[in-house]
Amino acid sequence: MTSLVSVQDVTKDFPLSGGGHYLALRGIDLEIRKGEFISLIGHSGCGKSTLLNMIAGLDLPTDGTVLLAGETVRRPGPDKMVVFQNYSLLPWLTVRQNIAIAVDEVMPELTTTERHCVIEEHIAMVGLSHAADKSPQQLSGGMRQRVAIARALAIRPKLLLLDEPFGALDALTRGNLQEKLMQICNEHELTAVMVTHDVDEAVLLSDRIVMLTNGPGSRIGGVLEVDIPRPRQRLQVVHHPSYYSLRSEIIYFLNRQKRVKQWQAKSHRVLPRHGLEKVNLDLGFLPLAACAPLAVAEARGLFRKHGLDEVQLVRETSWRGVTDGLVDATLDAALMPSGMPTWMTAGGHGDAPLPIVTALTLSRNGNGVTLANRLAEQGVVSVEAYRDYLLQHNREPHTLGIVHPASMHNLLLRYWLAAHAIDPDRDVHLQTLPPAQMLADLKDGSIDGYCVGEPWNRRAQVEGRGIPIVGDLEIWSGHPGKVLGVREDWALAYPNTHIALVKALLEACAYCQEPSHAEELSALLSDRRYLGMRADLIRFGEDAPSGRAEEWQPHHLFCGPGVNRPSRTEHLWILTQLARWAEIPFPRNYVEILERVCGVAVYSTAAREQGLDDVSYQRQGIALFDGRPFNSDDPIGYLNQVSLHRDFSVAEISLSVPRPLSE
Amino acid sequence: MTNSKFQPSSLSQWWKANRRSIILPLLGIGGFLLFWQLSASLGLTKLSGPLSLWTEERTRDLLLYPFFDRGGLDKGLFLHTMSSLSRVALGYSLAAIVGIGVGIAVGLSQNLNRAFDPLFQFLRMIAPLAWVPIALVLFQQNQPAAIFVIFITSIWPILINTAEGVRQIPQDYRNVALVLQMSQRRFFTKILIPSALPYIFTGLRISIGLAWLAIIAAEIVMPGTPGIGFFIWDANQNGYVSDIVLGVIWIGAIGLLLDRLMAWLQTRIAR
Repeated sequence: MTSLVSVQDVTKDFPLSGGGHYLALRGIDLEIRKGEFISLIGHSGCGKSTLLNMIAGLDLPTDGTVLLAGETVRRPGPDKMVVFQNYSLLPWLTVRQNIAIAVDEVMPELTTTERHCVIEEHIAMVGLSHAADKSPQQLSGGMRQRVAIARALAIRPKLLLLDEPFGALDALTRGNLQEKLMQICNEHELTAVMVTHDVDEAVLLSDRIVMLTNGPGSRIGGVLEVDIPRPRQRLQVVHHPSYYSLRSEIIYFLNRQKRVKQWQAKSHRVLPRHGLEKVNLDLGFLPLAACAPLAVAEARGLFRKHGLDEVQLVRETSWRGVTDGLVDATLDAALMPSGMPTWMTAGGHGDAPLPIVTALTLSRNGNGVTLANRLAEQGVVSVEAYRDYLLQHNREPHTLGIVHPASMHNLLLRYWLAAHAIDPDRDVHLQTLPPAQMLADLKDGSIDGYCVGEPWNRRAQVEGRGIPIVGDLEIWSGHPGKVLGVREDWALAYPNTHIALVKALLEACAYCQEPSHAEELSALLSDRRYLGMRADLIRFGEDAPSGRAEEWQPHHLFCGPGVNRPSRTEHLWILTQLARWAEIPFPRNYVEILERVCGVAVYSTAAREQGLDDVSYQRQGIALFDGRPFNSDDPIGYLNQVSLHRDFSVAEISLSVPRPLSE
Repeated sequence: MTNSKFQPSSLSQWWKANRRSIILPLLGIGGFLLFWQLSASLGLTKLSGPLSLWTEERTRDLLLYPFFDRGGLDKGLFLHTMSSLSRVALGYSLAAIVGIGVGIAVGLSQNLNRAFDPLFQFLRMIAPLAWVPIALVLFQQNQPAAIFVIFITSIWPILINTAEGVRQIPQDYRNVALVLQMSQRRFFTKILIPSALPYIFTGLRISIGLAWLAIIAAEIVMPGTPGIGFFIWDANQNGYVSDIVLGVIWIGAIGLLLDRLMAWLQTRIAR
């Protein structure tokens, strides 16, 4: 690999005027290839400009080195020209003189006529020939920035460094200049590094986007490859399939950084009270009908009743936020899809396996599959019809939305598609989308349909965007929907708090299950703090689902015999399905994983103290619509039997020794 | 901007737009002169009124014939003024050269600034008159002593403003010089001077007024040399109150002219 710039383990520490120091950047490693366009993005104060300045040589790293073409950068120079945010034109010189001062300085070996040619060429390149004799004050911001770019390019730098070059410009000028810059970069095969805070700008211009975490001690939080082919057009890139996923990836990253910052700003001392180890909890949830028990527990003061005085409900926009919140321990506990505890424990989120305990199943059912109206209009209202439709249109990509790889939506949708001889990876593409985005994607036709929890199926139907074609009762009636998940080390550190939390939520679940409370639940969840939508879209009706032609009725189960107890069999089924579709390898030590994931003892204690009859629980088999038996004593044998599956592997997942969270 | 067609309508428009800035100053000055004349005529003060410039024959001659030279110290006001101005020019030029030079050095070097700033702040607080005896001891002669007083009075605003101007060169301009790897000399001529020029001119403009103030003080205290200061001192010795009034008005007018001149230079050079 020919890397032009090599940033190696760079750290920057600023001494502060009042004594002390500020660690701006820590352990930054970055290789920039020749001809590449890199964007640095992050919140203000994350050190992105500092990093740029160190590449420019305007600032030196406290530790580590920056190499340009193999040589250590020790001082600034014209080979790494900077385009500054506020243009840095000399106001007492004209446009031409501003460019000339650079050319004269850097290219003394040229004759006067040659230099004159270079200057005029670059003035013309940015389209400012008519303004060459004006002074910078007479120019608009966009024109000034064009002069700055012309000045930078005129001296033929190896590397172009841009510090929020279009930050101060209006949208129209910015767009034009972005295209101009892209064109110049393509023509001259420039290598460029740009600092920006504009997500769209980063996606449009970059080959790679480097995302920096918050300071102090910012690190590279992620690097995104932009696979949109060049030359790019500002108005066309938005139609590229990667555009929105890149964009939402960056926005997710920035929001996550913001949330961590807000979390850090608050005090997080563990508050013990009432014999509980911790009474101040941050509970993560997603705005879905299944969050009802959490909302009820908050609204009806059930947390407080069980001694948890300071419980904050933290609304996340995607399940990924919940995963990350548990990984960096900014959340104490969270509502999560029932597959997530085993998925995270097996390391499905990509990091080291993080043991998660679930001691409570909060809801069952409540999901459905919706297909877009444009398919229904062509008569595609059943899975058989959809299979024929896929066969007829096999040249086009077909995308179905799911909310998370470890959610029951994904597993049930795949199971159901596979049972109807539709390969969920080859015949269609399953895309992870935040629930709230699915309806929008259904509207603009970028997905064929989705499998998601309420209220999104009902809402698609009410708004005339889609037709629910199958409910989960027809796939697996009584499947686990959402569960309560906590980190294992958290559960070990705060055992009594854990029991109190389960008790509070159990009581809330019982309240939710009461049919006479359905209206109240709808009204409660329509609040801005929870779902923030019209109450009539959030339904908890009891009617059985009666086919696709009539109005869709959700059918959540929040409480009842065997509803809330975590079931090892169910989590084993989930493990086999996750392995079937190669989300994780099937763990050879699955017995250990199930033992650690299912907090049965916590549930039993909580249920007993709540006066629930825990003993009447009986192990039930798992009965899906196709009647295929699931033998929980031989999961690998089961996996080998299923008709459609990916090349799954069986591996030992090595889990750390259980130990309580230390502060 | 002047109107090529000077029509009555445009004249009346011009009058409409500017009458406030003409009538009000006239009213103010006229009112002041009237009050002064009345208080003199009614004997409220011993100071002669403005009309005495004309009514006193000796003063009227001085007013009408500023160019006569009867040898020695008996000269017209213009000639007195010229000798004062030549002293100011000398002292002020010295102050400008030294002030700008030292100012740049102090502005560039944090250490020099730390070393000398307290001294400068202290010295600039000393009134011109207080310098006179020191200057006389230093130089033993009136002429160089007077020039020194002007120099030492007018140098501080130039020095301090220049230093500030150099310190205030935006980091952006310095970065441009750094990235282009400009030589010291080129940085000096291409970036430092143009960037600090507005500050330098502010200093120069403040100083010209101070220099003019200082010369009068110096000449009054060091009589025996021709100059507007001596003229007032001489009139005072002879009890010619109306001559003093004339001298004072003359000083004010010259000071105003000098200031306007610097302001004009400032707009021309340091845009």
